[in-house]
Amino acid sequence: MLRSCVSRLRTLAVLRGQPGVAPLPAKDPWSPRRSFSSEVIHMDLSLPNPSWNEDMRLLFDQFMKKSEDGSWKHLPSYKSKFTQRTEDIKIYFPDAKLMKEKLSQAQLFPRSLEEGLGFEYAMFHNCVEDRIVCIFQGGPYLQGAPGFLHGGAIATMIDATLGACAIVAVGVAMTASLNISFKRPIPLGSVVVINSQVDKVEGRKLFLSCNIRSVDEKTVYSEATSLFVKLDPKTRLT
Amino acid sequence: MIRRGFQAVIRLGHHRVLPGAPHVLPRLNRTSAFGSSTDSLVSRFCLEKTDLKDYALPNASWCPDMLNLYQEFLEKTKTDGWIKLPSFKSNRDHIQGLKLPFGLAATSDKSDWRIFTRCLQVEGQGYEYVIFFHPSKKKSICLFQPGPYLEGAPGFAHGGSLAAMMDETFSKTAYLAGEGLFTLSLNIRFKNLIPVGSLAVLNVDVEKIEDQKLYMSCIAQSRDQQRVYAKSSGVFLQLQLEEELSQ
Repeated sequence: MLRSCVSRLRTLAVLRGQPGVAPLPAKDPWSPRRSFSSEVIHMDLSLPNPSWNEDMRLLFDQFMKKSEDGSWKHLPSYKSKFTQRTEDIKIYFPDAKLMKEKLSQAQLFPRSLEEGLGFEYAMFHNCVEDRIVCIFQGGPYLQGAPGFLHGGAIATMIDATLGACAIVAVGVAMTASLNISFKRPIPLGSVVVINSQVDKVEGRKLFLSCNIRSVDEKTVYSEATSLFVKLDPKTRLT
Repeated sequence: MIRRGFQAVIRLGHHRVLPGAPHVLPRLNRTSAFGSSTDSLVSRFCLEKTDLKDYALPNASWCPDMLNLYQEFLEKTKTDGWIKLPSFKSNRDHIQGLKLPFGLAATSDKSDWRIFTRCLQVEGQGYEYVIFFHPSKKKSICLFQPGPYLEGAPGFAHGGSLAAMMDETFSKTAYLAGEGLFTLSLNIRFKNLIPVGSLAVLNVDVEKIEDQKLYMSCIAQSRDQQRVYAKSSGVFLQLQLEEELSQ
């Protein structure tokens, strides 16, 4: 399913180093604040904030260190959908302009909850092995059985991670099917690592899989396989 | 395999464990272990006399389709044996006096913990839904209207939000039909996108109950059934909740 074609396309453009696409000013805690008026809307939410616990920060730092030599790359993640890439949306969703009013209040689902309450996550792309790792901390508003993460919240993160993996591989893609096997319940507030990769590409079909593990990799919480389909610009979706 | 998995959870130590919690799952006597009848589960779950806010009630954000179908089913609760399930802020509110077995229980629900499908509380922003359950047919119907904060593709609901709605409907059905507690697996085939603000009707059936597992299927479609949004199947693990020991 296409989570955010706009922000992912931007991510894609940044990754592929396309000319004329400047990375948006990110809220980087280690650099001086810039005074862009649009900064609030275009804030990169995949960066540490006060709600991140120790495990999450440690993992983030580890991956940022690995990114120093270029073999890994941190993927930014935004709340807003309408940025400079509106032309790309129009190809696949020609009616999007008509819905603009309704959509101005829209938010990308995993980024629609306040800091620390819902999905806190950051994704890293391994450019050499072509896979994506997502570090995820589930907040108190994602509860299912008392004290544990809701299966649907886990499914949402799996969908988001596999989606990023598919989009980085082929551009715009949507979920056709998701098959998740839950092995152990995930305690609310804990940090998990989602490892995803593309297993096979057949024409426009992408077969991806992922697993969710604890920080020390000893516990496997879930495993999933999925089918994504690369969108054809000539075919309308609705 | 599942039992060993749950024993491992207890040993993990990330989670607070009650002192003296058993490390071995007690042998379940299949003939009598899940003896709680659906009726007793329903009455304990539904808590008719309560101050807790029920989120599964119409509000200004509900589209006309949703309001109409809601009224239809409300009529059926009087005549055809359907029950409207209340929806509280946390699952803990539904199981007052009960707790998760085998030391899996957290010792307290922090006041800001909330069930995922009620995470966005502003009317119309996130999940607007109501579930009707039929105890003897072991079926559920969920009327689901995704709000703008559940977006994925521009103007359409995020695949994850539908997955969560299906998991939630499975979860309530599994619990009332046979004390199903945890999702073991979820298999979803997406067919069409759900426009934000429109009604999706989820029909859930319990296919079979076997080997401590509940097998269910779901089809999400438009009200007139002309458009299928997704089909899915889910398997839940049966686990009996324990009475909370009085302090």
